[in-house]
Amino acid sequence: MSSELIIGMAGSGGDGIVSAGESMINALALEGYHGILTKSFGPQIRGGESSCRLRLSTQPLLHAMGTLDLAVALNWEDFLKFGAELTVGGQTTVIYESKTGVAPDKLPLIGVTPVEAVPVPFTDLAKQAAGTDKAKNSVVLGLISGWLGIAQESLLAGIRKKFTKKGEDVLQGNERAFAVGLEFAHAHPLKASRIMAIPESKSTKFLVDGNDICAAAAIYAGCEFFGGYPITPSSEIMQYLNHEIWKYGGSLLQAEDEIAGIGACVGASFAGKKALTATSGPGMSLKTEMLGLATIAELPLVCVNVQRGGPSTGIPTKSEQSDLYQAAFSAHGDAVRPVLAPISAGDTFGVTVEAFNIAERYQTPVIILSDQEIAQRKETVEPFDAREFKLTERKLPSEAELEHYVRFRYTDTGISPLSHPGMKGGNYLAAGIEHNEHGDPTAGGGTHAKMNDKRIKKLDPLKRRRDLFLIEGDLDAPLALLSWGSMAGVVRDALQSARAEGMRVKLLVPKLLYPVAEEVYRDFFRSVKGGLVVEQSHLGQLYRLIRMFVDVPKGLESLAKSGSNPIAPAEVVTRLREVVQHLQRRLAPEAESQG
Amino acid sequence: MSMSPSASVELAPKDFKSDLKPIWCPGCGDFGVVQAIYRALAQIGRPPHEIAFVSGIGCSSRIPGYTTAYGFNSVHGRALPIAQGIKMANPDILVLVAGGDGDGFSIGGGHVAHAVRRDLDLTYIVMDNQIYGLTKGQLSPTSPRGLKTVSSTFGSLEAPVNPLQYVLGYGGGFVAQGTPADMAGLAAIIEEAIRYPGFAFVNVQSPCVTFGHPESQLKAQKAMMQSLEAMGHDPTDRLRAMDLARDYGVKLYTGVFYRDPEPPPSYDSQIRARQAELQGKGLPRERILDSFLPR
Repeated sequence: MSSELIIGMAGSGGDGIVSAGESMINALALEGYHGILTKSFGPQIRGGESSCRLRLSTQPLLHAMGTLDLAVALNWEDFLKFGAELTVGGQTTVIYESKTGVAPDKLPLIGVTPVEAVPVPFTDLAKQAAGTDKAKNSVVLGLISGWLGIAQESLLAGIRKKFTKKGEDVLQGNERAFAVGLEFAHAHPLKASRIMAIPESKSTKFLVDGNDICAAAAIYAGCEFFGGYPITPSSEIMQYLNHEIWKYGGSLLQAEDEIAGIGACVGASFAGKKALTATSGPGMSLKTEMLGLATIAELPLVCVNVQRGGPSTGIPTKSEQSDLYQAAFSAHGDAVRPVLAPISAGDTFGVTVEAFNIAERYQTPVIILSDQEIAQRKETVEPFDAREFKLTERKLPSEAELEHYVRFRYTDTGISPLSHPGMKGGNYLAAGIEHNEHGDPTAGGGTHAKMNDKRIKKLDPLKRRRDLFLIEGDLDAPLALLSWGSMAGVVRDALQSARAEGMRVKLLVPKLLYPVAEEVYRDFFRSVKGGLVVEQSHLGQLYRLIRMFVDVPKGLESLAKSGSNPIAPAEVVTRLREVVQHLQRRLAPEAESQG
Repeated sequence: MSMSPSASVELAPKDFKSDLKPIWCPGCGDFGVVQAIYRALAQIGRPPHEIAFVSGIGCSSRIPGYTTAYGFNSVHGRALPIAQGIKMANPDILVLVAGGDGDGFSIGGGHVAHAVRRDLDLTYIVMDNQIYGLTKGQLSPTSPRGLKTVSSTFGSLEAPVNPLQYVLGYGGGFVAQGTPADMAGLAAIIEEAIRYPGFAFVNVQSPCVTFGHPESQLKAQKAMMQSLEAMGHDPTDRLRAMDLARDYGVKLYTGVFYRDPEPPPSYDSQIRARQAELQGKGLPRERILDSFLPR
């Protein structure tokens, strides 16, 4: 019995392989299993080859990585294009289209012999059952259900739901295709059994992706305006809100460009509403002037950047964590804009609500750095109650304050009550130009310095928000791991492995990336001699950003790789062993001289 | 214009004048424009706190600060997106937008077409002086071909944008032109634009006294301006309006070129209708996560 399995499937665009993966994880979530489904496409976004991998488990999962247990190749050419994303190992059972004419001992896999290779006549079975090879994915579902011994009823129910609207013929064809797959599995039991154990808790799980749940969090937080422009991989946020936001008294603008999208958000925020925009790297570049405007006009808004490979168009369909500098240092001038990053699709809910809270409380734009991996993967989440996340509203002027309203009044907190059109007595001039307390334009150095101070210092309390940092492991460990965003799950897994090996190591994952919370890092580093900052970027941007503000232990190294080059937990552990060796080499002479 | 949520009160032009002293050059056309806006707003009768006045960057974009409305002196070329966000977020607010020809037809030119086709109930006033004044005299998108400036020493090689045809061409429902040389006329045009229930565009020939051409100054304008009304122009005739607009830069017609006799429902009124139709159809906010239960 397996408690965990990884299935990887690839085919050409029309094979419906991704759709099969979605049906699969939906059925698993219903039955209480945990799973993460990642989808991958060729560089053209639409058309071409596609693949998905599904990691499923009887217990909660931290990431989707690992060698495949079950590889499904509808054709070899497409399968091989996904290289490192669909890693076949000695333990993998390979299932492939027998029509390709490849003999089981002649698989086009270099340097690896899978435990078993099963040719399956997918196309013939589909045609036989449904009269069309379009039903191939239903055959695949039947096969997997049969070999794993799971979700037969839920999968069939899913097929019924999906195909009922396409007519009786199509529905019955797919039901038969599923049954044929199931029969094939029963008639050809696998050498290495893949029967799944029953899940720890059979309760139904939430099935979320980062983009949809980000949008849902915005609704929960009371967001009443979205302005944006389509861009991969963030468009789903706009698409979700497009059918939901109106139901809550809000409105949405698909603007003519990225600038107008965030510009309309600035306007909506000025008008008193919570506003959201979402984009990816290239769009973020265009939005930065407006971020500067929102900073100086002290207007709340939330801007999501779902990171992809960059620079420029880069790799739109792959995850990367290379926009951290851009987020921290976006727009010109002396300014601090809070940057938050969720660590999983499920975590995106809380982080998005908190982004709105911070934006409204401190009257500032807040950037959420999501990434393609957590934004577009589907993952199960143990159901939780949204009300666990409290909401913060902007500080409005009181009746008394409206008598002699001073929009940018200096206060102890740096936060001045914020009026909006319609509020009598609250009339003021918002401006991108430097201004005094009343909002009147000024070029005076004294006022400029004081206003900069107000706008920057009001955010200081954020740096003391320890709840925006995840710390795990031995608190007084000499070894450290740091990571952020979607890499955090991989590194949490690596932490467990390293500790199981006997290494004394701890982990810090900042969800608040900027401003850099110096004290949190200093406290964390107190016991640390060395370690790794693990991230998916070429430069290692978090590693460098932290060092701008904090003296880090000498033995702290960067483990950073460009997007589309996955970092596996085992690699993190291997590098950590090397760090230990480096430390021993460096500390040994020191110890001698001290001795 | 939006339905007024508060009863109209007696308001005088001075109620819209702020304490901020304009920093325009003496003799600038924009002084007349702001006066005309005070007068128009007094006629409309909406109190200043129910008005949002948005601008971009440039000499003329200083104008919101000289009114008592909620003002927003934003960034260069982006007044229209911000104004549309305000109107969408709160359709009760009367939203005015203003800026120069560079702000509207150069750096922000891409937004105009979309504001026109989107047709929110906004009034967009462009103070067109055919020059960049704030940056001291460079070529603007409406500068005539051949104009010699500090950035076109040997004469401009480009034809100017024609703001009137631009907005008419994208299907603008209200297009007018005025000049501070005829203050009463300009105030009446702006008032009419505000009352138009959709995107209304007013091009104002507002001369730059410092860097502008002698023939574009107020005195010269007085001599050359021709009232469209007096000419017997029918403002419901879009084709004729397009034809007359061709004379931009040659003749100075004042008044309404085109007013849609049957304006379609504005975007903001449709937002209201959609919200009313869908109100309460979603999960309660605190139960929004139920939408992630697998089916």
